Amino acid sequence: MAAISTRATRQSRLSASLQHWGNWVFLIPSAIFFLSYMIYPILRTLWLSFTDYRYLRQGPANFVGLQNFQYALSDPLVLIGLQRALQFTLVFLPGMIFLPLILAVMVDRVTVRGLATFYRVILLIPAVIPGPMIFVMWRLLYNYEIGPINYILVDVLGIFSKANAPQWVGNPSLVIPAVAVFEWWWGLGYHTMFFLAGLAAIPKDLYEAARIDGANEWQVFWRITIPRLRPIMAILVVLRFGTAMAVIDEYLLFGGFNRGLPTYTWTVYMYDLAFQIGDWLQGYAAAIGWLGAIGMLIITATLLYIFRNRDNN
Amino acid sequence: MALNKKLNRRNFLKAGAVAGSAAALAACAPPPAAAPGAPAAPDASAPTVAAAAPAAPAASTSTRPLAPTFYQWIYDLHPHIPELNKTLPNVKAEIAPTEGFGIERFVAEAKNKESTWDVYVGMTPFVEMTQLISTGAIVPWDDYIPKDVLDDIIPSIREECSVNGKLYSWPFFLDITGSAWHSGITKAAGITKAPSTWDDVLTGAKAIIDSKAAPYGNVYDPQGWRSLAPMTHSMSTQVYTSEGRFDFNHDAAIEALILMKKLKDLGPANLLEAGSTDGGVNGTPDEVAFAAEKAGFYFKYFNSPYRMAANWKDPNLLQIGAYPKFAGGEGSTVFWTTGACLFTYGQNKEAAAEYMKTLTYDKKIWQDSIAGTAAAHPVQLPVYTSIYKEWAASKPEWLPEAVNTISGQMPIAKAITNHLFGLKQFQLARPFYEKYLLGQETSEKTVMQQCMDAVTAELKKAA
Repeated sequence: MAAISTRATRQSRLSASLQHWGNWVFLIPSAIFFLSYMIYPILRTLWLSFTDYRYLRQGPANFVGLQNFQYALSDPLVLIGLQRALQFTLVFLPGMIFLPLILAVMVDRVTVRGLATFYRVILLIPAVIPGPMIFVMWRLLYNYEIGPINYILVDVLGIFSKANAPQWVGNPSLVIPAVAVFEWWWGLGYHTMFFLAGLAAIPKDLYEAARIDGANEWQVFWRITIPRLRPIMAILVVLRFGTAMAVIDEYLLFGGFNRGLPTYTWTVYMYDLAFQIGDWLQGYAAAIGWLGAIGMLIITATLLYIFRNRDNN
Repeated sequence: MALNKKLNRRNFLKAGAVAGSAAALAACAPPPAAAPGAPAAPDASAPTVAAAAPAAPAASTSTRPLAPTFYQWIYDLHPHIPELNKTLPNVKAEIAPTEGFGIERFVAEAKNKESTWDVYVGMTPFVEMTQLISTGAIVPWDDYIPKDVLDDIIPSIREECSVNGKLYSWPFFLDITGSAWHSGITKAAGITKAPSTWDDVLTGAKAIIDSKAAPYGNVYDPQGWRSLAPMTHSMSTQVYTSEGRFDFNHDAAIEALILMKKLKDLGPANLLEAGSTDGGVNGTPDEVAFAAEKAGFYFKYFNSPYRMAANWKDPNLLQIGAYPKFAGGEGSTVFWTTGACLFTYGQNKEAAAEYMKTLTYDKKIWQDSIAGTAAAHPVQLPVYTSIYKEWAASKPEWLPEAVNTISGQMPIAKAITNHLFGLKQFQLARPFYEKYLLGQETSEKTVMQQCMDAVTAELKKAA
């Protein structure tokens, strides 16, 4: 009897196990995608970083240990490049969080339903415009000679003359703010939607209770709205920190491969090494990529710690 | 019936197992046989450019149509080419994935001993030819180009397109750096004759600004291969090291830099800004200023002023001339050709040569290029002596005198020496010589030494 019972239990476990494996089968497509498009390139780049691999050379890559990393850590272009990317991030990140936050609070207060929808649609327009069109548009806006911004500043307002009009793209001290403003505009609606979703989740009775207790609008904003939106802010800060540090398209568009400009950051240097310079030093470029990624992971972990949930529950 | 079959877990698993087995079998299958006529793999240990190039196949029997691929701008500036491609039998032409001179797709395919295309039209020898040869991605044309065509190429251009005596680029379009000016502006400034020396240019440019005929006396493209190199050639062409590098320390290069600074001070403040396309290389401020009729003189390869003048109220006001000279200088300039390379692992090599010959001698392409179309007016010239002889013998009515001015530069112009860092050396040097142009550094010799050091450092890194 006991033997039969044990066999039945085994069969039941086997059946459960098979069912369990059956579930895994459904994950195969996404697992294949994840392994081939995420894990493999990451591991491949890691392997490259320990080699002297040059794409245009026909010989095999040689294992060089940590040599690329040692070289990268003493390469001024890597260190300056990281510093430049950090400078851009510090300019970009506050605007990318607080501008959408303020806008979201304002749009959230629009009570006329049609108008509220209209604002939301308007805000989302930049997010649905294809990237190349955005790039062309902003390069035109910033154009020194024929750009509308300088036209207004010089010809309409007369604040500047032709001789001293701002060089939004060419002036090293203006190009980073110029890229940041363009990025703020591009992401404004998208990020505002995050905050609007967060605002919609805050119970209205919290606001009513606070107002009954005599809180003014400023206090309501700081004591209720901001703490309740903190998880969304955390997500945006972490996401946007990563994208800001890793910007490359915009830098290439605004500064090309000119190493003298603030737009020549570690990402541009990495691309330059991997696809432009000499016989394409991809092993070294991979090491720079990993150093940057490790640095970003450390800062991201710190940000996650700062924004951790402090609720006792 | 299959559509009505209920998709439950059992069915899905069955289908998945079948698909998985099929995929596994496919993965285990041997790779497809090399295309007939495909050459042997390049010698992996081959260190030199010439040695790395695999032997070209003796003949190819292709199973596909001829597959040429074009750099995008060629289709844009020469609209007759896509039209012609449609009419040619067994030709399947495409746009190449080469924005910003990117050749990674070609190299990647060559590493896999395959090529989607047979011929790439868009290669500039000093820009990417050395890289393509060193990776074994391209083979010389010598075995395929008809002898009469080979002998028809202008000798200096044949030299530009050859490495170790082998022709790797089938030259197609010629660009020469020269002078252009807006005659409406120069006339308003009281300038009555074409500038023949740089001193004439500086005097004229100042007169344009002083007379308020235009905001800027002149414009040029500050990228080294478009200004520093031609201005240096204007003084001397012997400015390349024995390895083929541009010698930034050469007296002629230093003189050219001093000239660039003087010209820059008579040009727009944003002259050094990155261009808006192709990684900052194209769509540059000089083009915008000249197109907006804000500058008198313009120094760049001729197709640029023609393209920009098309935006003027009266494009006929454009005048062109020889590149100015330094007093006591050689009076040379820079030329380069854009040509076609033959992929090692492509097919249809003989057909590719026939195809290129068809393009090379197509009269409509040259008429459109020189006389212009509604789409573009590039004024890129042919590089074959017989075409010029034919025009000399019987001048077509559409042929302007300006062509003689442009082609007249050929005997004195010199190409930038082919080198792995042919174009890159100027990009690496730019932040340093820019400091002088911006007035941040007053010693021209110091910045040019820094340019040299910057290129040397990258060469060491690449060693």
